[in-house]
Amino acid sequence: MRPPSKTARLLNSFRNQIGPVVISLALVAAITAALIALTPVYDPTRVPSVYLIPVLVAATRWGIVPAVTAAFAGVLSAAFFFFPPKYSFHVADQEEVISLVLFTIVALVTSQLAGNVRHQAALARKRETEVRDLYAFSRRLAGAETAADIYAAIQDHLTTVIGQKVVIFGSTAQVEVPPDLVAAVPDQVRRDAIDVATGRDNAVARTTTDADSGATWLIRCVLSKTPEFGVIAVNLGGGGRDAIETITQHVNSLMEDAGATLERLDIGRALNEAKLRSETNLLRDALIGSVSHELRTPLASILGATTSLIEAPVIARDRRLAALAAVARDESERLNNDIQNLLDATRISAQAIRPKMEWSDPADIVNAAIERRSRRLSMHKLDVRLSGDLPLVNVDPILLEQAIGQILDNAAKYSASGSAVTVTAQRRDDQLVISVTDEGEGLTGEEKARLGERFFRGSRHVSTISGSGLGLWIAQAFVSAVGGALEAVSSGEGHGTTVSIALPAPQDPPRDDARELDE
Amino acid sequence: MSEAASTVLVIDDESQIRRFLRAAFELEGFVVRDAADATEGIHSATIKPPDLIILDLGLPDMDGAGVLERLRAWSKVPIIVLSVRSNEDEKVRLFEHGADDYVVKPFGMAELVARARAALRRHSRGAAGDSLIKCGPLEIDLDGRAVSLDGVRLALTPKEYKVLQVLARHAGKVVTHHHLLNEIWGPDHAHDAHYLRMFIRKLRRKIEKDPSRPSILLTELGVGYRIAQPRAQTDTSPRF
Repeated sequence: MRPPSKTARLLNSFRNQIGPVVISLALVAAITAALIALTPVYDPTRVPSVYLIPVLVAATRWGIVPAVTAAFAGVLSAAFFFFPPKYSFHVADQEEVISLVLFTIVALVTSQLAGNVRHQAALARKRETEVRDLYAFSRRLAGAETAADIYAAIQDHLTTVIGQKVVIFGSTAQVEVPPDLVAAVPDQVRRDAIDVATGRDNAVARTTTDADSGATWLIRCVLSKTPEFGVIAVNLGGGGRDAIETITQHVNSLMEDAGATLERLDIGRALNEAKLRSETNLLRDALIGSVSHELRTPLASILGATTSLIEAPVIARDRRLAALAAVARDESERLNNDIQNLLDATRISAQAIRPKMEWSDPADIVNAAIERRSRRLSMHKLDVRLSGDLPLVNVDPILLEQAIGQILDNAAKYSASGSAVTVTAQRRDDQLVISVTDEGEGLTGEEKARLGERFFRGSRHVSTISGSGLGLWIAQAFVSAVGGALEAVSSGEGHGTTVSIALPAPQDPPRDDARELDE
Repeated sequence: MSEAASTVLVIDDESQIRRFLRAAFELEGFVVRDAADATEGIHSATIKPPDLIILDLGLPDMDGAGVLERLRAWSKVPIIVLSVRSNEDEKVRLFEHGADDYVVKPFGMAELVARARAALRRHSRGAAGDSLIKCGPLEIDLDGRAVSLDGVRLALTPKEYKVLQVLARHAGKVVTHHHLLNEIWGPDHAHDAHYLRMFIRKLRRKIEKDPSRPSILLTELGVGYRIAQPRAQTDTSPRF
């Protein structure tokens, strides 16, 4: 992709002139033939002015070279065919010599003038194209919805204007650079571009001359303030300083426009997304909140009534009636549990969790969680191992209890009845680790990775085990609210799961001195 | 006092809740009266004092603490508070305003009835001035200032005894952290929860079979402690 050298350019323009020159000569020939045919009725002394026709045509259409060619061809033809002695370039009459000289001067001046007009027209056309390009560019900028749109616009526009491919190096994933385009960039330029992009080079713009091709490259940040929006590399070619200066200025002004749009887009997009998100969340949370409260009141009556029925001896005596009442009770409890989860989720996403931290005995918290889940865990072999000298932890005991409860729920739900659920709490360095291990379904890699997602449920359980996919998400939110971390480990599908909560537990809890208290 | 004759006053603005509580308590042998708002409830309790009050917190005309205050101004009747919110701060506040127990809606009827009976027993024992509290293998003699486990007298520090004494005086009822700290260590330590944690842990080692899974000295998370409800000899309830 080297720029054409000077000789090549001349050759090129010469090649472009051959056609018009030939046509001009043909025009001269045609006029000569016509004049010969008209000789009996046409005064030969007026001949030269007729030869002005091909000169004017050539000058206005093709420029100065064909015009001059036409002028000289016209003079020679007039001398050869029409001025005595005929069929010789010699012209006998002095007066005719003067008229030929005059013709030549008029022809040359005319071609010069016509050529100038043509040049002005071409320039005007070029300006018009430039303006149109710029206009198209700013329209694209105005309509750009993503950063990628802007980069594409810059690339296309500069490529049209400079006639050179432009490469944009993105510092973010927003810019996709075709690999072949990058490959066309010399190594030196690429290195410098990376320096500018990473901010290692404190300049926002610089030029680099590639030793191999002799071409000068302009490297500058798309946004002059920061390399965050990528770096552009433009091949300025091997032209002179003025040419480089012109293109550099053009690129700079272009970048300012594009940069402003990029900034606007970035801020605008962030605002848009935040607004949309918060509106959706607000609406959903308000809905969930009011629905949950509306559901809870009747549920309180249902649950109260069914638990009362279960206790009634009339029903307890009949195995079938007792089973029916138990179903009603269990399902309303489940519904209540789901509603509680929805309410918790609402609180979490509304960031309304306000942990009330106090120094607590982790054994108390674990015991409370187990106690509250005792019926759900009644079909499992529960093994609780709490070492006697657990450190106190500074947590919100209620939130932590609920987190452990969610984990216990999951353990009971995803493992067969009769299997063991082991709960341990022990100090590990500066942490207290509470773990719940089951012998159940375990986790696949994908499930493990997505465990923390709200509403995520392993696809293999969707049809077999009911649930909302909120449990662990809530547990995770509560645990991090009290300053801990939740982790799930599984040796794979069918090999059980261990969910652990790690809480900071300083070696020396504040004034851990029971004796002092006794005095 | 026979339990079959116990009168319970239900103060709740939800008619469905009143309806099911009436049926459920009657099924358990209680006599039930109800009121749809605080004014009516306080009026009813004043005209003819019940043995027990079930008080809903979400009343339209007065807040829960206000109702408790008005009732407690003249009556020691056991009051069980019902709330849709499980809020520990509110629990603490209501306990300190004289609530006997706190049950979160929705609840199982067996639980509510058990708590109602426990509250009634505490009340009658308090009235009778019982001084010997038995809780499983643990016996607390409030008059003799002695504590024994499986009949063997325990060597307790004065503060340990005092904690047990405070809890035993309210046996079965939650005593808030604040109350315990204030009563035993004085107002300067009223907010030092970790004092209490280490202290209770130590005390449990003396009185519990498995101190890490206590069955006598129980924790009410975020609220306080209580001694497990002593079993009454005559804990039979009328059934249909």
